[in-house]
Amino acid sequence: MRLKGGGLAPQLTSAMSSAAGPDPSEAPEERRFLSTAEAAALERELLEDYRFGRQQLVELCGHASAVAVTKAFPLPALSRKQRTVLVVCGPEQNGAVGLVCARHLRVFEYEPTIFYPTRSLDLLHRDLTTQCEKMDIPFLSYLPTEVQLINEAYGLVVDAVLGPGVEPREVGGPCTRALATLKLLSIPLVSLDIPSGWDAETGSDSEDGLRPDVLVSLAAPKRCAGRFSGRHHFVAGRFVPDDVLRKFALRLPGYTGTDCVAAL
Amino acid sequence: MSGLRALLGLGLLVAGSRLQRITTQTSACRSGPTWWGPQRLNSGVRWNSEVMASTAVKYLSQEEAQAVDQELFNEYQFSVDQLMELAGLSCATAIAKAYPPTSMSRSPPTVLVICGPGNNGGDGLVCARHLKLFGYQPTIYYPKRPNKPLFTALVTQCQKMDIPFLGEMPSEPTVIDELYELVVDAIFGFSFKGDVREPFHSILSVLKGLTVPIASIDIPSDR
Repeated sequence: MRLKGGGLAPQLTSAMSSAAGPDPSEAPEERRFLSTAEAAALERELLEDYRFGRQQLVELCGHASAVAVTKAFPLPALSRKQRTVLVVCGPEQNGAVGLVCARHLRVFEYEPTIFYPTRSLDLLHRDLTTQCEKMDIPFLSYLPTEVQLINEAYGLVVDAVLGPGVEPREVGGPCTRALATLKLLSIPLVSLDIPSGWDAETGSDSEDGLRPDVLVSLAAPKRCAGRFSGRHHFVAGRFVPDDVLRKFALRLPGYTGTDCVAAL
Repeated sequence: MSGLRALLGLGLLVAGSRLQRITTQTSACRSGPTWWGPQRLNSGVRWNSEVMASTAVKYLSQEEAQAVDQELFNEYQFSVDQLMELAGLSCATAIAKAYPPTSMSRSPPTVLVICGPGNNGGDGLVCARHLKLFGYQPTIYYPKRPNKPLFTALVTQCQKMDIPFLGEMPSEPTVIDELYELVVDAIFGFSFKGDVREPFHSILSVLKGLTVPIASIDIPSDR
């Protein structure tokens, strides 16, 4: 089930040039990616048909993202400095997932610091922020533009800035500048759902954009994950009922035991 | 802080006043305090098992447990939904550690989840859903349902995942023993006070006669 590699690339290229919709060259039962429209539809199904709450889903995704970090960077192998994690959060849902992720990383005994410059006013974000503040997770008031300072201060960075369908220009100057700095990072980078700044469908800007070492796809991988060439790709979708996976003709590797993430 | 971590990690608090009775109950839940020490839970929470074995675990009184809850809601702005999801997930994980599907007779293993009228019942609904995702075959008995969106939504999630809801509780322990390999008691939690009303009084009597294991969420519900 490798997503990267020469064998898949030609098929994906032809799929990417067509509009959002099932890839005809991928047999229905073997689909491994969702288009942006399908990802939104899957989320709507969970919210409207299954009556999941948004807060519930964000909590499950953020918790699973933190678990993925523990798998990619197990704590016993890390020095004190390597346990420090910078979590960069945008103002939309991806950022909310980042806030939950930071809190669970704290519980898992990593040392997160959050950069959340453009704050959403909605209640979910505000409560998640309070939870982090109350757990003594520091919030940076600015992010150095000199990437070497970040490389020296932290062991890894979590990118929770942009999710699928959110335009980079929507998130404001500080986030945009942060992304420009993160492109030059030499410490490991973990992107939640999609690498921020990548086109969720085509993965364009994947050459010039962020190059995460770890991608944690939320619920199911998005099309641009085909262009991901980092070390680890996890899917955090244990909570997605089987019927929903079937409805979207998704076939993903099974989860073992009580794991909430699976390595692809 | 460690107490909060315990809540977030496990969702299981044991009320101090109940401890004596747990050890003398013949139908005592197997996932009681004894197995916290040696087992390392791996639902992402890392426990130092040496610390757990050597230092006494602090058990909370009912008042303390309520105070922890209040702090989480009022100071930390957690929502009931959030905590309930974490608690139910943690309970399902704990149950899966104690009774892994491979150790059970049936495939998938059958589990009866009995949900009470309050938040403990809500924890049970979340737990049942995650048990289904973990490969069990849960059935729920949920006789008294609060008319609040939180609970109706959790019921919908279970129904949409084809988890059956029993119309009535089997009245004979032997019937339950035959149909289910494990029973999850999510009837009453730490905030329960007062007399046990029907149908729960009868349900608890039936549970006392079971031979299959019972896993109690938060506290054993018997009186």
